[in-house]
Amino acid sequence: MPDNRGMSPNATDDLLMELLDRIATRDEAALKTLYDEVSAKLYGVAMRVLGKVEWAEDALQDSFLYIWRAAPDYRASLSPPMAWMGLIVRSRCLDLLRRQQAERVNATQELDETLADQLGSDDPGPLDTHHASQQAQALHRCLSQLEHKQREVVTLAYLRDLSHGELAEQLRLPLGTVKSWIRRGLEKLRGCMAQFA
Amino acid sequence: MNLHRHPELIDRLASAHALGTLRGGARRRFETLARQHPAIRAAALAWQARVAGLTELQAPVAPDAAVWTRIRNLVHADQAQAALARQRAAAPAPASSSWWGRLGFWRGATAAATLAAVLGGWVAVGLQHEGEQRIAQLQAELQTQAANQTRIEYVAVLADAQGQARGPEILVTFDAQRQRLTLQRVGGYQEAADKSLQLWALPPDGKPRSLGVLGEDKLLQLTTSAEAVQAVPALAISLEPKGGVPSEGGPTGPVLFSGSLIRSLSL
Repeated sequence: MPDNRGMSPNATDDLLMELLDRIATRDEAALKTLYDEVSAKLYGVAMRVLGKVEWAEDALQDSFLYIWRAAPDYRASLSPPMAWMGLIVRSRCLDLLRRQQAERVNATQELDETLADQLGSDDPGPLDTHHASQQAQALHRCLSQLEHKQREVVTLAYLRDLSHGELAEQLRLPLGTVKSWIRRGLEKLRGCMAQFA
Repeated sequence: MNLHRHPELIDRLASAHALGTLRGGARRRFETLARQHPAIRAAALAWQARVAGLTELQAPVAPDAAVWTRIRNLVHADQAQAALARQRAAAPAPASSSWWGRLGFWRGATAAATLAAVLGGWVAVGLQHEGEQRIAQLQAELQTQAANQTRIEYVAVLADAQGQARGPEILVTFDAQRQRLTLQRVGGYQEAADKSLQLWALPPDGKPRSLGVLGEDKLLQLTTSAEAVQAVPALAISLEPKGGVPSEGGPTGPVLFSGSLIRSLSL
């Protein structure tokens, strides 16, 4: 996989936008190059949301087919390229999760145990700024000011689209605890993000 | 309380809304206010963009090599299908009866889109949802415009007929007094050099009637009689050979954009 870790966000954005432009003209080689560039990053999101290889692979596949079809609309979205693709993956993952939940209520129980374990450890959840847009770099700086647990619940609330109640249930924490972590986490984020506005 | 006079509270609600933890009645009230007040809407959109950065910060995991093979196969199938569709489009104009089948399909798709809109909360994250919000917003703005300028009697927002993740493409307003139909391109769609976009009225019990062919300009005005527009519930745009096709035969190409024609109630 090409490594652009040293590239500035703008240079990365330029590269990815050029690839999306070429994909819009049905350039299959450009799709392969984009896949080599960002599939690990996007698969990381899918694994974080779904926690299961089989589902995450399906979500990644759906996402790339969507990117292939929707590339002509990318420019009009006015989003940084990684943000656009990240939203596509999250949206596909949540669709898949809802279908699974509708079919089998306890489908995510296994995943919940992994989540609860992650939260229990002191290991700061690995955040990665590879390919991240400037906006996401700012978010990263602000998130790193949060306590580990606050950062985890805020991240999970968004990535898995969970309510306070669902988070409390899945993380096996009292509702009040989850609410206060989210509230304090968001307050800190707001204060910090204001300087980047 | 006048929420728009409390920027701190707006910011707090907007961040919780974007994160998804603002739920139920509070969420609906906030969304209503955001539709009404640009400053609240701007705060909500800014936080959506900020929070979306979370998808960019997750640790990478290398997927199995088989995933790319599956994607490549699907893309090949997609391209084969597109080539087939192009072949069909290049073929001589089919009898209008075959187009009716597609109109039926289009109506089905609209019903599906309506259902999707009803289940809007469920779709939440979908880009489609954003598109629908933009359409609703534009429809509301157009209706306001229509209310202020009594000359405009009908408005329509035409969007992707297949219900894909796209926003509004063409705004249509009709001034019955001056018999003037105005079309404005607001999306990014660009037809190929050898194709034209053609506007059709879709009467409830009759064949589609051509209202005109779009040029390359962003803004187009056509002269149309009020009778041609009255009692028409919907408009559609089809992709046709350069210069368009005769009205009698109906559309020959795919319907790209469609939307309801709304009569302003203020007159």
